[in-house]
Formats: sequence, C-alpha cells, structure tokens
Amino acid sequence: MSADVLHMRLTLSRKTGFELDVEGRIPLSGITAISGPSGGGKTTLLRALAGLEQMDSAEVRFGQTDWDAPGTRLPPEARRVGFVFQDAALFSHLTVAENINYGARRRGVSHYDAILEALDLGPLLKRPVAGLSGGEARRVALGRALASDPAILFLDEPLSGLDQSRKNELLPYIGRAVAEARVPALYVTHSRAEIAALADRVMGLENGSLTGWQAKPIRLKARVVETMGQSMRVLLAGAPEEAAGARAVLPRIAEVGEVVGLGVRAESLLVSAVSPGRSDAILQAPAKVVKGDGGLRVALYGEEIAIPRGGPHAVGSTVWLSIREVAARPERIDSAENRL
Amino acid sequence: MSVWPSVWLTLQLAAVTTAILMVIAVPLGWWLATTKAKTRPLFEAITALPLVLPPTVLGFYLLILMRPDSPMGGLWVKATGSTLAFSFPGLVLASVIYSLPFAVQPMQTAFASVPQSALDAARTLGATSRDALFTVALPLARRGFLTGMVLSFAHTIGEFGVVLMVGGNIPGQTRVISIEIFNAVETLDYATAHVLSAWLLVGSLTVLTLVYLLNGRGGTRVG
Repeated sequence: MSADVLHMRLTLSRKTGFELDVEGRIPLSGITAISGPSGGGKTTLLRALAGLEQMDSAEVRFGQTDWDAPGTRLPPEARRVGFVFQDAALFSHLTVAENINYGARRRGVSHYDAILEALDLGPLLKRPVAGLSGGEARRVALGRALASDPAILFLDEPLSGLDQSRKNELLPYIGRAVAEARVPALYVTHSRAEIAALADRVMGLENGSLTGWQAKPIRLKARVVETMGQSMRVLLAGAPEEAAGARAVLPRIAEVGEVVGLGVRAESLLVSAVSPGRSDAILQAPAKVVKGDGGLRVALYGEEIAIPRGGPHAVGSTVWLSIREVAARPERIDSAENRL
Repeated sequence: MSVWPSVWLTLQLAAVTTAILMVIAVPLGWWLATTKAKTRPLFEAITALPLVLPPTVLGFYLLILMRPDSPMGGLWVKATGSTLAFSFPGLVLASVIYSLPFAVQPMQTAFASVPQSALDAARTLGATSRDALFTVALPLARRGFLTGMVLSFAHTIGEFGVVLMVGGNIPGQTRVISIEIFNAVETLDYATAHVLSAWLLVGSLTVLTLVYLLNGRGGTRVG
C-alpha cells in the first residue's frame, strides 16, 4: 500500500546551527507519535510538512499528491492539514463558534455536530476566546482543526503547559475526536504516558534526523460492558464473559458496547510462565505463545500482540500476562476489524 | 468674511486624505511588518521622511513634480485639463505624502504584534495569505488601524507649510484653516485667529486623548 504513506525528504540548515535532515515514510493510518528531546526539530518538521516553514530542499508526497516537489510547493491552505498548535493559536477577536467555523466555512463543511459532541464544545460556543481555560482552549483548537475537514491531523504537543489532571482529562477527548474524524494523525510529544494512551506507532526524532521506529506501544482491544457514573467496566476483546482477569474498571471514556483501545506501557506488563495468583494487576490473562524468541508474540483471546520484552518461551506454551496500568482510547467502530 | 469655506475645505481634505492613506497603509504596513527583504530599512526611512524634513522642502519638491512641464504634472494636465499645483487634488496628494508616517507606523507596529501562530492557523484552515490578512491580521491590528486613521485625519487638519507651498491661498479651493489663521493674523483680525486656533487646539487635544485612551497604558507610541 505505497499510496497510503506520507513520504518526506527535507533538509534545512539554519545560521543558528540548527539542522534538519529527514527522510522517511509514515503510514497514513491511526496516530503516529513523533517523539524525541526538545530542540530536536519535532515542531519544525510538522511546520515544514504543513507548508508553514521554508526548507532548503523539500520533497513531500501525501498519498498520491505532491505537496513539495522540485518546482511545486503546495501552499498551506491547499494541503488540508488540521494543525493543532502548541499554544492553541485561537483567534482572539472571534468567539469559540466563529473560531470553529473559520476553517469549516472555507472548506465547505456545514455539519460538524459530531465533533462538537465528541469534544463537549456545545457549552463553550458563544464564549469569547479570552475567557477560556487552558484545557478548554486546547479542545476548541482541536475542534477547529477537525471541523475544517482535514486529510491529516498534526498535533504539536497539544497538552503542553497543562497540569497533570487537565492532561488526564483531555487525553480521552483527543482519542475520541481523532477516532471520530477518521483521519490519520501525527502527534508530537515527549510524554511516554501520552504515547501509551494514544499512539499506534512511534517515530524517534533527535538532532534533526529520524532515528527510526521505536517499540510499538502494546495496544489491546476491549469492549465496554457496563458504565457506572464516572467509571466503566471493559472486557478484553474475544474474552468470555466469565473470565475475571479479562475485566477491568477504568475512568469512563466510552459507552456500553463501544470499543476502546487499551495502551500498555512495556514497564506495566509482566509475562510469567505460571499463573501469578493474586496481584495488584488490573488485568490478568493467559495467552498462547506464537513466537518465542527474537521478540515475543502471543495470542490473547485470538488477538496477536507483540511484546518487546519477555521470553524466551516455548512456542505453543501458555504464559500469563499481568498488566498493572492501562490508558484507554476510543477506537473507530466502523472498520471491520473492530467489530466484535 | 466667513471662515466656513475654509473649515469645510479642511474637513474634506482630511477625510479624502485619510481614506486614501488607509488604503495605502494597510498593505504597506503589512509588508513592512512581515517582509524579510533587505531593502526594508530603506522603505521604512522613506516612509518616515516627512517626520524630519521641513514642510518647505517637501512642498518645494512636490511643487517641482506638479509643474505642467514635469512628467507627472504634464500627465495630469493631459488627463484633466487643469494643473495639479494650486488645486484640491494637488493638496490631497501633498497631504497623503505628508501624513504617510502617521498612518503607516501605527499600522506596522500593530501588524508586528499579531501572533505568527494565529496567521499560521488561518493558513492551515484554508485561508490564502490575503484572506488571512483581512480576516485575522487586520481585526487583531484594529487598534493600529484606528490610531492611524485618527492621527492621519488630525495631522492633515493641522498642516500648514506644505499646503502653503503646493496649494497657495485660494479661497474655497486651497485655503484651509491653518492658512486662514495665518491670513487673519497678517490682517490683524485677532478675533478670527483666536476662534480658529482655539478650535484646533481643543480638537487636537480631544483627538490625541482619544488615541491614547484607545491604546491603553503602554500602548503603541505614535509618530
């Protein structure tokens, strides 16, 4: 599927000594995190791809469309990138509704109720931008980008500068909104928690060059079986109702019957050959080893997952997965693979 | 002799000049605020020239330019049948040049303070650069626009030297308030001079107070 990738080759060298030299391909599906230390060029890369930054040389191909090629430079307004800036960059002379409508009107979008709902923006619409809290401003910025009918979403550290509880509050919104919009996303961050919660894959960027794909965040699928106030009970996809270890209670981000993705950081996952018995794990389930060494792969209720650490284990044997912590993300419910 | 023709003429001149100036000041201020061209300081200096040149110097060069035997003056005579010097259009042209910095500088300062990220956001949301200028930059720079407008108007009302050089002293055509005051003093008609001067003084004070009020504390410096 060579058509569904973002191909890029960019070079830039500034008088300040900053250099960017990037070549790579990013699949146009799900959320791709771009991670690395500050000053490594993450923001510059996003800006260059969006056409906001002049490069020394640029070749960017989005699917079948040339964004940058020798002799062509598609202006930013023609790239259909939904850009969520670090500081939200709302238009302070307009209301929330007018901000959201700014891009929608220019792209001929008249209905975006689903986005307003996913981001809980209804109550904010009439407010002026000046009175919004940090978290509200980020939500409006995300809604504004999504309402402009983007072909891809660029999120530049959309949670930076917020305190931890605000971040936890906003994370599910981002997951839900991206799932709702059904567009791929590039997500710049250096937070491992955000990567675990949201990302399908992680590309490293350091000192202006790509350092390759990092270990994929482990992501399990689960279905919401019950909601209780601010909590929800989920059951791992494919697990029988009675499997106690396959159920977990999490902060509520979805409704009964909906599918969520559970991001698991490698350090929250323990693989053992025998049942660990009672522990502080929130999920505990047996899995069949599919591939034993050189990267463990196991089948968990029919779903194959790769585990970066752990092993060696004999192919065909049963191992127990104990998971101490997960971060839930709403998943698209329209694609065939998610139907349970 | 009534002073009203000169008051009316002055207001007309100020209104027309301000309208033309704002049309020039928006793109010029935008260009000066955003360009990376190496020639920018030169254009900034040209824009600011009327602030430092004696009005007589400016008036002298304008008069030379407006002579029927000069290229520009000749063209005007060919197009309209009358000379540019000592006419209302000539006065407008001179006023536009003379008041240019008062319109452009507040505009440039205001545009420079518009956050780049707001403009970038507009572009990614489907706005062309011109669209972003009019729907994001200009509304965010509206105080600069108002300041430039008010200052241009007020400054045009108060000009004397250039008007005298280029416009002369023709009642109803080029005789503006400041010239009327000059005439009144020359003919020892102090009563008229008093009334007109007081009006200009109070008017200017009101306008400037308005501008500073508009800009708040520590706002854009003017001129």
